[in-house]
Amino acid sequence: MITIDHLTKRYGDTVAVDDLSFEVKPGVVTGFLGPNGSGKSTTMRVILGLDHPSQGRATINGKRYAELKSPLHEVGALLDAKAVHPGRSARNHLLALAVSNQIPASRVDEVLEFTGISSVAHKRVGGFSLGMSQRLGIAGALLGDPGVLLFDEPVNGLDPEGIRWIREFFRSLAGEGRTVFVSSHLMSEMAVSADQIIVIGRGHFITQGSVDDLTKTAQGSVFVRCADPARLHKALSEQRAVVAEGADATLTVNGLTSDDVGRIAAAIDVILFELTPQRASLEEVFMDLTADSLEYGHGSLDANRA
Amino acid sequence: MPSTVTLWSSVRSEWIKFRSVRSSILGVVVTFVLTIGLGALITTAVRGHYHEMNPLRRVAFDPVSTSLGGTIFAQFAVGVIGTLFITSEYSSGSIRASLAAVPQRLQLVVAKIVVLVVALLVVSEVAVLITFQMGQAIFAGVVPTASLSSGAVLNAVLLAGVYLTLLAMMGFALGLIVRQSATSISIFTSLVLIVPIIMFLLPQSWQNTLTKFEPSALGQSMMSPTPAANSFGSMTATAILAAYVLVTLAVGAVALERRDA
Repeated sequence: MITIDHLTKRYGDTVAVDDLSFEVKPGVVTGFLGPNGSGKSTTMRVILGLDHPSQGRATINGKRYAELKSPLHEVGALLDAKAVHPGRSARNHLLALAVSNQIPASRVDEVLEFTGISSVAHKRVGGFSLGMSQRLGIAGALLGDPGVLLFDEPVNGLDPEGIRWIREFFRSLAGEGRTVFVSSHLMSEMAVSADQIIVIGRGHFITQGSVDDLTKTAQGSVFVRCADPARLHKALSEQRAVVAEGADATLTVNGLTSDDVGRIAAAIDVILFELTPQRASLEEVFMDLTADSLEYGHGSLDANRA
Repeated sequence: MPSTVTLWSSVRSEWIKFRSVRSSILGVVVTFVLTIGLGALITTAVRGHYHEMNPLRRVAFDPVSTSLGGTIFAQFAVGVIGTLFITSEYSSGSIRASLAAVPQRLQLVVAKIVVLVVALLVVSEVAVLITFQMGQAIFAGVVPTASLSSGAVLNAVLLAGVYLTLLAMMGFALGLIVRQSATSISIFTSLVLIVPIIMFLLPQSWQNTLTKFEPSALGQSMMSPTPAANSFGSMTATAILAAYVLVTLAVGAVALERRDA
């Protein structure tokens, strides 16, 4: 379990994380979602004791990272896959980490095997592709067989086969009762790989819930094809729905559920040919949620010209 | 659960890091080549010109420090070894993985220091002993020679190795503070090379008081069996240089402890 408790992190005048609080529970894959620059990596660095919090605290099973007696056995982390000395071989990189926590060399060979990079174990890391580096980073996180795992943007640079592998791998880790915390700036990725999602923007907590919860809270629309669109339009508008008329006697209704639309149509005796609730895509939900918190908005060209 | 991260496990980890990159191995090779190779060049040149040397200089001639002349160049190699041992962790970003594995930052620094001191002491002492013996063999018959059977001579030769080790530690300490390879190495080079030049521009009376405090002057004092004018005895010089290193290391350790990684 990871607990973030009123965490604030400032770098000079910049507030990277602002009074953030949440919990990451064991047994599920928890996605950590936010646009680039929203404070995901900073939060992860504070969890690992690399950056000191300005206020608040981050704990793992109730302890600050620096208080862990055997860090690699308790927490495994992949922050930046390329953060390895380019001149060192993959095996020596892992061996140096393992030895510091009294993990036997046989475990190094195990994780190399598991992540599929045994064949390049003795090659210098400088020549690795991003995908191979990601696998090396994952191997490093697994060294101590830890109960808590953190991955910062792990799918970057992986090929489709690698992405599928890593999703199944996260699920199996969570299935074993581990705490799995995975950050991404891609909602679509989180939608398939995470059970729970924590959304942040500009260092602020935005929302938390299951993938289903998040899409339900979003404004969906209802697509209607009926015998008398003008009359239905009028009736729906009286219920404060926002209605747009389309071609071929169709309406797109915002602000009411499909059940509501069906009842209203029945009440005024309008025959429906088609009634389809249209779920907002997760991407749209994410855009909605974080619209106000983008670090770099897309400025209008017209505004610049004026 | 007992702690699995001990000072000894950290030292073993740092030793793997030290021996597994080309820069350390190359640095050690360059240290040998400069100390021994330049030692051979210098002693051979001195042997060839000794008969032309004026009597006053012959009286002051010191076969020990002369044969160890290569250390003046090797000091840059060891400085770079020490610096890169920490700055390469910052340039590559691997410091984060290192600190995640060993969250007690002081323990990480102490482990690195242990590895660096032991490795550099072995390398430097072997290099200076070989160089000294080779130099005396080249001098033999033409130039006065010294022998390790004299306590003062043995002391001077061994302290030449200590000097190189301390300079490697100075490079490491600067790297710990500055974090960038190029900047740290520039500062190191300035301390060893530029400070004496600045000193040279000062009034003579100041020079007499200050020059002996320069790192390279302290090195000369350490590897001379008999102290020259306006310089410290070898033990005092060692203590002063060690104090410089310890203060710089302390600043570096505090910086590591306080700053974000």
